[in-house]
Amino acid sequence: MGTINSALLLTKGALDADQAALSVVANNVANANTPGYTVEVPDWKQNQPINVDGIQVGDGVTETGSTSQRDRVLEERLDQQQQLASASSSRLTALNSIQALFTPDSGSASSTAGDIGSDITSFFDSFSSLESNPTDNALREQVLSSASTLAGDFSSAANSLNVQSASLDQDASGVVSQVNSLTSAIAQLNTQIQSTSPDADAGTLEDQRQQDLSQLSQLIGINQVTTENNGLSITTTSGQLLVSEGQNFQLTTGTVNGATDFFLGGADITSELATGGGQLGGYLTARDVDIPSALSALDQLAYGISTSVNAQNNSGTDYDGKAGTAANPLYIFNEPTAVAGSAANMTAIMTNPNQIAAAGAGDGTGDNSNAVAMYNLGQEPLGAPTTTFSLTQNLDSATPVNGTATGNVEVYDTLGKSYQATVTYTQQGANTWGYSVALPAAAFTSGVSTPVTGTITFSAAGNPIQIEPTGAANPETVGTTTGDVSSVPLSFTGLANGAADLNIGWNLLAANGTSTISQSAQASAQTGQSQNGFAGSQTPIDSYSNFVSTLGATVSEVQTENTAQNASVTQLQTQNNALSSVNLNDEAAAMSTLESSYQAASQVFTLLNTVMASALNLGDQTAVS
Amino acid sequence: MRPANPELKELVVEASRALACLDAARLEELALSCQALTRARSSEDTGEREHLARQAREAKADMAVFARVLEATRSNLNVMKRLRDLRAGRLEYTERQARGGAGAGFPSTGGAKSRGRWGEAAEGGHGDH
Repeated sequence: MGTINSALLLTKGALDADQAALSVVANNVANANTPGYTVEVPDWKQNQPINVDGIQVGDGVTETGSTSQRDRVLEERLDQQQQLASASSSRLTALNSIQALFTPDSGSASSTAGDIGSDITSFFDSFSSLESNPTDNALREQVLSSASTLAGDFSSAANSLNVQSASLDQDASGVVSQVNSLTSAIAQLNTQIQSTSPDADAGTLEDQRQQDLSQLSQLIGINQVTTENNGLSITTTSGQLLVSEGQNFQLTTGTVNGATDFFLGGADITSELATGGGQLGGYLTARDVDIPSALSALDQLAYGISTSVNAQNNSGTDYDGKAGTAANPLYIFNEPTAVAGSAANMTAIMTNPNQIAAAGAGDGTGDNSNAVAMYNLGQEPLGAPTTTFSLTQNLDSATPVNGTATGNVEVYDTLGKSYQATVTYTQQGANTWGYSVALPAAAFTSGVSTPVTGTITFSAAGNPIQIEPTGAANPETVGTTTGDVSSVPLSFTGLANGAADLNIGWNLLAANGTSTISQSAQASAQTGQSQNGFAGSQTPIDSYSNFVSTLGATVSEVQTENTAQNASVTQLQTQNNALSSVNLNDEAAAMSTLESSYQAASQVFTLLNTVMASALNLGDQTAVS
Repeated sequence: MRPANPELKELVVEASRALACLDAARLEELALSCQALTRARSSEDTGEREHLARQAREAKADMAVFARVLEATRSNLNVMKRLRDLRAGRLEYTERQARGGAGAGFPSTGGAKSRGRWGEAAEGGHGDH
């Protein structure tokens, strides 16, 4: 390895050369990708804006003139970079906490959220063991034990995320009192400064105001607008007024959907503050974007596993020779009613190992075909079966007897395969329609489609009031009071791909109790549809791995941003220090240093990029810009 | 102590750190070192190439940091250049630009006179060049 190593050794001279003491930020840069390194955040210098006659000018360039006005160019730039750095720093802290949750702890005796990946593997593998001896009670116990561990870790992860969200909510709320205190102080200083200027130097007061502005800009993203006699107005980065010369406007908080929202002058500005920068921006981004995103991924996975496993087990035969029924389903997990909250609420509810349906439908207890199917759920893309759907549809009351109308909805089985379900309505008489719900014939092992049928009766006002599935002993009342029904039960068995039976509730009433289907004098038409299943694209373990790696990529991206922003602030501070002197030679030297550093760094970057692209044999460059 | 054979990752990290500190001398030194590395990359030795490929993979994240710091430096340099132009009187705002009219944020060059308080300040501030 003579050549390349020799070349690398040449760089050793540079790396070993004496260095001046490095700033905190420079060390952060150096350790940007060192695992476990805690970023140190230095205190930054205060800043001031660039304005003319109370109007903020363009991209940070201000009027010419005195030295102090010149410095404002830098201070504006410093301000912008500092707000971004504060936001990414507080967001990064939150993201690191989230990531730590999903890091396996090999030293821990008990299972934790970090073990979800191995929990998923263990759970589905337990069915593989059961296949070999489906009547073995110990193996059945093992299935329930691994189900309990899996559910516990999902629930623990989701609950920990909710705790972190509450903690961020508290941190964000805590910023408000600091902001209000600072804007109040700045307003008072404005009054004093304006009464002093322009007849006398308000230097000390301006220094104090600058200090307050510096603190404020670390807390939230702000714009500053200078006014007459050195007055100052401050807005949020999205333009809401915080200070107008001697008057300040208080930020207030209120609870909206269980979380703290932020108001200014009665308007909810939470989303504007989240994108505005500063600590508050970082807290809110973590609370409102990062944690919900992680929860959503966990919920989807928990929902998919719970519904698919439940449906599969329910379609088999248990050790006692029983099959699941609507009244007594053979569910291993509590059946979620919606994707949201599935992870937090995930629980293994089955306690009797005999209820594990290792045998297929109609098979004896020694059969293992359903255990095989449940193991396969872990090896195939994880979807979620449709358990409910609704159609928004009107049926024309003028339709002649035997006249028809149709509706369609796409539904999914336990293996994530989709089918077009067709609903055919047939006018049977005044206010009475027959329904027939069918899947394509190719969906079934038999090659024959057997529709689910019945009748719906409408009131004179056009709302469904009664349903009578074919074969039912009596019609049932549609409504929301006890004893009423709100959906039509549909069941499709014998799917060709081996998926569990599809048991779907066709909702005739929406969540608020209003009818989804109606009869009126208007033309028959379907105007909407919804269902809760989804197709799978990844196996459960791949889905979890994808979630963890996406989280890791986000952490890495924010860390890179934060490091670059802090580095930028360091550069600006170096320049600002040089320019604090009115010596033009010093100013020229500072500019020259910046320029030559940039040029040399560009050359280093280009050369390294070429080397890396060549080494990786990617054929293209890795440059960002 | 540094390892006997510094890794590519270490080189990239050092470049980011030097740029954050605006250590031009060190960056120029690193540039010379990189030139030697560039010449060596065409080695025919498979083992060497694999070794370098591994180092390149390990340095990718740090290279992204370096790219972002370089990008921020370029922005800072633009600000400083405008500051210098402002200082030299080559760049001024018109009142229309200052009030957010067409071209606001992009000042004219060539010493165009501004008006009112803005113009007064501009003229008064240029006595030293």
